[in-house]
Amino acid sequence: MTIQRKFLLAAPLALGIMLASCGDKTAEGSEETTAADSTKMEAPAPSTETFFQVPSPGEMLTFIKTIGGKNNKNTSFLNNPDNQKNYTDAKLKALNFGIYSCDLSYCSIFQIGSEAVKYFKTVKQLGDQIGVSSAVKPEVIKRLNDNIGNPDSLSVITDDVYFSSFETLESGKQGPTLSLVVAGGWLESMYIATNLTKYEEKSPIVERLADQKYTLDNLIEFLKKYESDANVASVLVDFKGLQAEFAKIGEKDAAPLKSTEKGAKILGGGKDLVMTAEQYTAVVENIKTIRNSYTLTK
Amino acid sequence: MKKILLTLFVLGVVAAHAQTGVCSNFHRKYCGVESKHGGSGGWLYNAQSRSGLFDQGMTSKIRCVIYKGMDYRINVCCETQFSAKVNYKIFDARTNELLYDNATAKDEPLFEFQSTATRQLVIEVTVPKGATEKDAHKPSDAACVGLLIEHKLTDKQGFSSY
Repeated sequence: MTIQRKFLLAAPLALGIMLASCGDKTAEGSEETTAADSTKMEAPAPSTETFFQVPSPGEMLTFIKTIGGKNNKNTSFLNNPDNQKNYTDAKLKALNFGIYSCDLSYCSIFQIGSEAVKYFKTVKQLGDQIGVSSAVKPEVIKRLNDNIGNPDSLSVITDDVYFSSFETLESGKQGPTLSLVVAGGWLESMYIATNLTKYEEKSPIVERLADQKYTLDNLIEFLKKYESDANVASVLVDFKGLQAEFAKIGEKDAAPLKSTEKGAKILGGGKDLVMTAEQYTAVVENIKTIRNSYTLTK
Repeated sequence: MKKILLTLFVLGVVAAHAQTGVCSNFHRKYCGVESKHGGSGGWLYNAQSRSGLFDQGMTSKIRCVIYKGMDYRINVCCETQFSAKVNYKIFDARTNELLYDNATAKDEPLFEFQSTATRQLVIEVTVPKGATEKDAHKPSDAACVGLLIEHKLTDKQGFSSY
């Protein structure tokens, strides 16, 4: 596994290029983001940067399926593949690549195999247009067809498409496009979740939706790195509006957990978010408005 | 002239590496954890995982989100001989409270945990300077470091409706 890279020692400039390639922090000339949490250091470090990570859309969808949506086959709320022809500018292409990728993930996770193939073709077409054709390979269609009856394999295949696209955009320093793809994917996962869920005070899915406040915070920080791009800046405005709705959600101290039999460490403390029916409705409406403005649907 | 061409060639090769991300996907290739019983043990890849190129003495941080009701497993791995000495700390992003430091577990790279609440964590990874005697004389040596995060739904204890 050891890889020798001694030649770098003779080329400090080259090392600089490579270090830059390992992150997206300055790829577009934006300033390094410093979060409020980045000040507590035990010792000064020569280089400290913070990357803001966002869970994949599939994580939310898998959670919903596990909690109570095993038999769901509804696809009525997904973005119709026919709409793809309407996305002619770079912003809508990137956002809807994320949206369709999430729809593809949804079809795989909920075992709607024939739809998965359809959505893959749409993802492939948009992927070619935004520069991730190497990540969305045509042979994946065969793998999808071969595994239509195997939801676990379908999920792995479609996850690979998402992650490969992510890595291709990141490696290619297409930060603004990447941030729009991630934004579209997350937004669609929220839109799907809210279409599958009705408000119940102690529903684990509603709790998970409230918890998206934290994911949205990370996503906004991620978008801020590329806000010099006009497309990203406009999405940032939308998401900050949604963030304001999430900010209204109340908090209470989290209940302590008993230690597990397996002995896994428990990170204690923290706050639980408590979302009221009114707050839920406001969040859902806001998500719907933003999402439909990106898909150009009602 | 030859030197100039050679320099340009080296920089070209390195730039090509940079374009493709020299450490891209390192965590997926090298940080996987073998289950005791084979297979994944139910652990799922978490998209908040990350790789990067680290110089000795370098620190880098990610801010991620973990959910309550889930088990998480973190594994940090590195491509050089100072692999075993990569340090990482986990902070609550909101309070800056130090929640875990693998130095308290002899720099053990693997850490399994749950959280009482959904929260943002800052995971701070440091490759120490002079991690080994041999490396102490090569302070600018660089290596890929991977931070693999995996998750799974916490097993319900007792009878459950699902």
